[in-house]
Amino acid sequence: MADTVNKTLGPQLDRRGFLKGCTMAAAALGLSDAMIPKLVEAAATAERPRVIWLHFQECTGCTESLLRSSHPDLARLLLDIISLDYHETVMAAAGHQAEQNLHDTVDKHPFILVVEGGIPTKDGGIYCKIAGKTAMEILAKVAPKASAIIAIGTCATFGGVQAAAPNPTGSVGVQALVSGKPIVNIPGCPPNPVSFLGTILHYLTFKRLPALDHLNRPLFAYGRRIHDHCERRAHFDEGRFVENFGDQGHKLGYCLYKVGCKGPETFSNCPAVRFNDVGVWPVSVGHGCIGCTEPNFWDTMTPFYERLPNVKIPASGIIDSADKVGKTVLGVTAAAVGIHAAVGIGKRLIKGKSEE
Amino acid sequence: MATYEKHHCWSILLRLFHWMFALSIVFLVVTGFYINNPWTNTMIEGSFSFPMATMRYIHYLAAYTFSSAVAIRLFLYIFGNAQERVLDILPVTGRNINNLFRTLLQYSYISDKHDERLGHNLLAGLTYLFTFIAAVFMIVSGFYMLYPEASFWAGWGVMIFGSQQFARYLHHILMWWFMIFAVIHIYLCIWNDANEPEGLISSIFTGVKFKHKA
Repeated sequence: MADTVNKTLGPQLDRRGFLKGCTMAAAALGLSDAMIPKLVEAAATAERPRVIWLHFQECTGCTESLLRSSHPDLARLLLDIISLDYHETVMAAAGHQAEQNLHDTVDKHPFILVVEGGIPTKDGGIYCKIAGKTAMEILAKVAPKASAIIAIGTCATFGGVQAAAPNPTGSVGVQALVSGKPIVNIPGCPPNPVSFLGTILHYLTFKRLPALDHLNRPLFAYGRRIHDHCERRAHFDEGRFVENFGDQGHKLGYCLYKVGCKGPETFSNCPAVRFNDVGVWPVSVGHGCIGCTEPNFWDTMTPFYERLPNVKIPASGIIDSADKVGKTVLGVTAAAVGIHAAVGIGKRLIKGKSEE
Repeated sequence: MATYEKHHCWSILLRLFHWMFALSIVFLVVTGFYINNPWTNTMIEGSFSFPMATMRYIHYLAAYTFSSAVAIRLFLYIFGNAQERVLDILPVTGRNINNLFRTLLQYSYISDKHDERLGHNLLAGLTYLFTFIAAVFMIVSGFYMLYPEASFWAGWGVMIFGSQQFARYLHHILMWWFMIFAVIHIYLCIWNDANEPEGLISSIFTGVKFKHKA
């Protein structure tokens, strides 16, 4: 039997795996099963869209999660349905040849730009240089010619860990530097490969980007709060909480709210899609969400094991929990009230009550 | 003996606002502390016990009361009587600026002279205005957290706070202002009531204050 699909998609991927991947992407996008043939058709088309994948200030974790997910099908599908013209981690070319590929694609073809990593802007952007050019220069050259831009990972969307206060390199996400281009943000540290694949397939199938939220994240993946889809939600409503890691409540699978889970303030499809094709995600294995899909999560979601960030009072060295600071200020207020009342009473005792 | 005469000062709507605001704050603070750090841990499964769901329900009921109260105050700032309008408490006229300084002198025991006026003194009025603005932030951050997927609240929430977590943080910090405000407010009401026989405390029940007969 002629296996035509395998010929176009590479020997590692069988038709069954290919269809599974397309079906998963359709499910992630919330499409009906009637749309799966269209997705398959779009993904298997001979006209593969060109993709340039730029790495800036990052750990390559997003690429790793994509390549080493327990879905080799998915990763392979991604690499085979698109023509990945430039990707520093996986490309065969090196040196001048690699740069030549990049310039050829940028100058001669329509392409989708994927950016992984933050872009340092301080001191002229010297903190990230590739082939003698700063990340800012590369982005400024490539981005205006892209037909669409996908920022993958929290670094490329919101700056990531290197943008944490005091942000020594002035790192920002793509949307802070590029305007006038459709930008899709796929935040996460790393994001679920399904969210990325779903966006690509949506674009290939419908020739437009998926619906986005106020932070330019696709609604199909980032439209719902983790807390509202969490399997431990019933324990939250019924007041059953883990007090410490390893305690009885933890063993019984109670809600991780009191040990700092950021599920109530984080938008992602983690509880529904899960990771690595084995049905796990952080909360399912007993660790709270750290809020990695949200802007500036290194600053606003830390301490990771507390509900709220600490209050930092500038120029005083005071860093404490909001409640401790609040109690102190309330105590000082009460003391001031007491002193004020005492002064008034003392004054009246000395001077006597004035006659009305 | 000085002679006093009755003056109508606060409309029924303002008194309604005051008590809606005060009572809802009590409920909001108590349930808010529970929601932030639930102190019960039932460890009982399969029984009727929804402490977090119940606390959140009370919090939302109180929150709608609070929001309605703030809406009433906004209406009164614009359409209320002479004492209730916002121009009466802004330091924009000579009379008001003068009152601000005289109130500060009186509160710091430097002067015994009381600047008699029917409405709020300027210090109180400005503190109430600040609290009103804090209340608006509480409402926006609260609704942003309650309806994160509603486009209206998500739009404002992302614009003002950036993320749910920052909205939560601000919501929590501003709560402390309402407690601190309550301590100062109740103390200064008692202080004024003890110092000047204007009937300040009863005025928030009856709407009537007393002034020297001209």
